[in-house]
Amino acid sequence: MSVSHQSRETERTDFVAVLAKVCLVAFLISLGVVVLYPLFWMALNGFKTNAEIFGNPFALPGGFSVANYIAAWNQGIRNYIATSVIVTLGSAVCTVLVSAWTAYGLTRSKLPGKPFFVGIVLGGLMLSPTVAVIPLVRMMQDLGLYNTYWALIILYTAFRIPFTTFLIRAYMLGLPRDLDEAAIMDGASEGQIFWKVTLPLCKPILVSCVILHVLFAWNEYLFAMIFTSGADLQTLPVGLTSIMAKHGTNYAVVFAAMTLSALPIVMTFFAAQRFFIRGLAEGIGK
Amino acid sequence: MADLTLRNIRKSYADFEVLHGIDLDIKSGEFIVFVGPSGCGKSTLLRSIAGLETITSGDLVIDGERMNTVAPSKRGISMVFQSYALYPHMTVYENMAFGLRIAGVSKAEIDERVQKAGEILQLSKYLQRLPKALSGGQRQRVAIGRAIVRNPRVFLFDEPLSNLDAALRVATRIEIAKLKQSMPDVTMIYVTHDQVEAMTLADRIVVFKDGNIEQVGTPLELYKRPANLFVAQFIGSPAMNILEGTVVGKSQGVTHLMLECGAELNVSADRGVLPVGERLSIGIRPENTQIIPAGEHGPVLTGTVDFVEHLGEVQILYVDMVGSAQKYLIKTADDEAYARMDTIRFTARTNDIHLFDAKGRSIAGRILEDHALTHVSRSRFRGDAPGGGGTAQRSAGLRTGALDP
Ligand SMILES: Nc1ncnc2c1ncn2[C@@H]1O[C@H](COP(=O)(O)OP(=O)(O)OP(=O)(O)O)[C@@H](O)[C@H]1O
Ligand SMILES: [Mg+2]
Repeated sequence: MSVSHQSRETERTDFVAVLAKVCLVAFLISLGVVVLYPLFWMALNGFKTNAEIFGNPFALPGGFSVANYIAAWNQGIRNYIATSVIVTLGSAVCTVLVSAWTAYGLTRSKLPGKPFFVGIVLGGLMLSPTVAVIPLVRMMQDLGLYNTYWALIILYTAFRIPFTTFLIRAYMLGLPRDLDEAAIMDGASEGQIFWKVTLPLCKPILVSCVILHVLFAWNEYLFAMIFTSGADLQTLPVGLTSIMAKHGTNYAVVFAAMTLSALPIVMTFFAAQRFFIRGLAEGIGK
Repeated sequence: MADLTLRNIRKSYADFEVLHGIDLDIKSGEFIVFVGPSGCGKSTLLRSIAGLETITSGDLVIDGERMNTVAPSKRGISMVFQSYALYPHMTVYENMAFGLRIAGVSKAEIDERVQKAGEILQLSKYLQRLPKALSGGQRQRVAIGRAIVRNPRVFLFDEPLSNLDAALRVATRIEIAKLKQSMPDVTMIYVTHDQVEAMTLADRIVVFKDGNIEQVGTPLELYKRPANLFVAQFIGSPAMNILEGTVVGKSQGVTHLMLECGAELNVSADRGVLPVGERLSIGIRPENTQIIPAGEHGPVLTGTVDFVEHLGEVQILYVDMVGSAQKYLIKTADDEAYARMDTIRFTARTNDIHLFDAKGRSIAGRILEDHALTHVSRSRFRGDAPGGGGTAQRSAGLRTGALDP
């Protein structure tokens, strides 16, 4: 009797467990749908004609013609993507290297007043880009960098260093100090320790930082709009608005352009997602 | 060849002085072991020698050359860390080659040295593996290999075996002893908490306490002739028993001591430094204590067994003695059974009794064979028993002592 009682008990807990699991899965699926459906819808509408979009926005396209995509590609998206790639990669490399050096200095040096410098660097997190726009425009003009790739690369680097340094510093604090000392005994200079020991060990957080930076730089709008003017130097977000202005009523082409602009970043994220999660999980826990 | 001399080495962190003037001469090829309680500055001294810490004042001299400000890698020193500190992203081979590459050694020579070290340490099969794919013992050997390939004059080890399990620790200890034999010119300094490692590996042991050297000597010297109470209790396991006593008198070149447990001890007074009334400590090692079978007579101490620990081959008796809050430990062969509350009588050979003055310094007074550890009846404590020439003084000493109930 006690046995049957027990088995009923386990049945009930089994049932609860299964129910919980089902609820969880259902929740995750709906979450996925909520996030993915608009993107999917955007991509699908890129295959339709304008008439189809207005007549039946939620239907599948009549045929998968890539004409809109080709049109979007040829009407500037190609240039915008090129600019975005250059600016994004350039600033990502600069940001991560400068931040890693900074973090290395902040974690390893015996500098007096170190908390003060940590405070200054991290204080940059609170600086609003909007506030700095006007002086920055003057500076860039004086330096002759206005309307060049460098304007954006430098600005993106400067404004992302505090956050990136913060992440890398947290990660470096967790690396065993013994390794540095072993390298010192092996005769390595500070530079060699940084390049050959610390940086390789920071790979997970560096990948995370690159991804975060790419997400930021790829979508940045304010600086991109203000510091570039020519069509050949516009990044995707700015370019998309000008496409919208030009083809205000041809939504099919606009959707195709948007899909094309989102594609690289979605692919990057999926490719590096594993490192991304791991780097953040390890870095922030400390 | 590397003679190493430390002259008045001091090390402070901000206002906090950790090393208070260390003087030590280490001869080329010696195996020196540092021991001492946690926090006494062993690692700090080792790291100062390595150059990982700056020396606040004093001289570090290697082969006649002052090394205080020489870069760590230029001192001809290799260090093996407790945590191994292997570079996790490099293979075993690269780990060992890293320092040589930086030093600009040619590829062929790097390969030769790494292969040779790999052979000595039986790592040849693992050279292309990453450290995370190795066992603890193998990692330890890689760390040693990384130290070997640089052909150092001085090897430093900071508790290298403490992360290994007992069996592996013994095996690696023997490896290290063999390694030392194969490199007779290399000086080794080794920090450990393990008594057995210290006793078996060392040519000389240095005992530290609170940033000072308490004693330097061969393992047997430290064991047989500890310079002070601290060393006496630190070396040996379980620790030496300490009994408190008082000088109660002198006669004909003999100094009479009265112990708080109610025994009398006669010491040759050739030192002449034991004034009557002086408090002394008497040390006897647990393993040097002999239990006297019932019925036999002789000079004895008595106590009641409080607890027995069986270690298989030996047993350790925790004995309560009159006049002492400390348990007296006896280590004896596990062939006779003792139970709680048993009264036992025990003694020690005169050569095994150590004497320390009130400041804890060793007195090398000779303990007289024929008078050693006389058990004194309670009545004699009150001074009414006939005694030698020292009766008056003895009672005088007793009045200041804590003996009388
Ligand atoms: N960076 C530091 N700043 C301040 N004090 C320190 C520093 N490093 C060590 N100390 C202090 O110096 C003393 C000696 O430390 P050390 O590490 O040399 O001890 P140890 O003898 O190696 O101990 P253990 O046996 O536990 O390894 C300790 O009191 C420690 O707190
Ligand atoms: Mg230590």
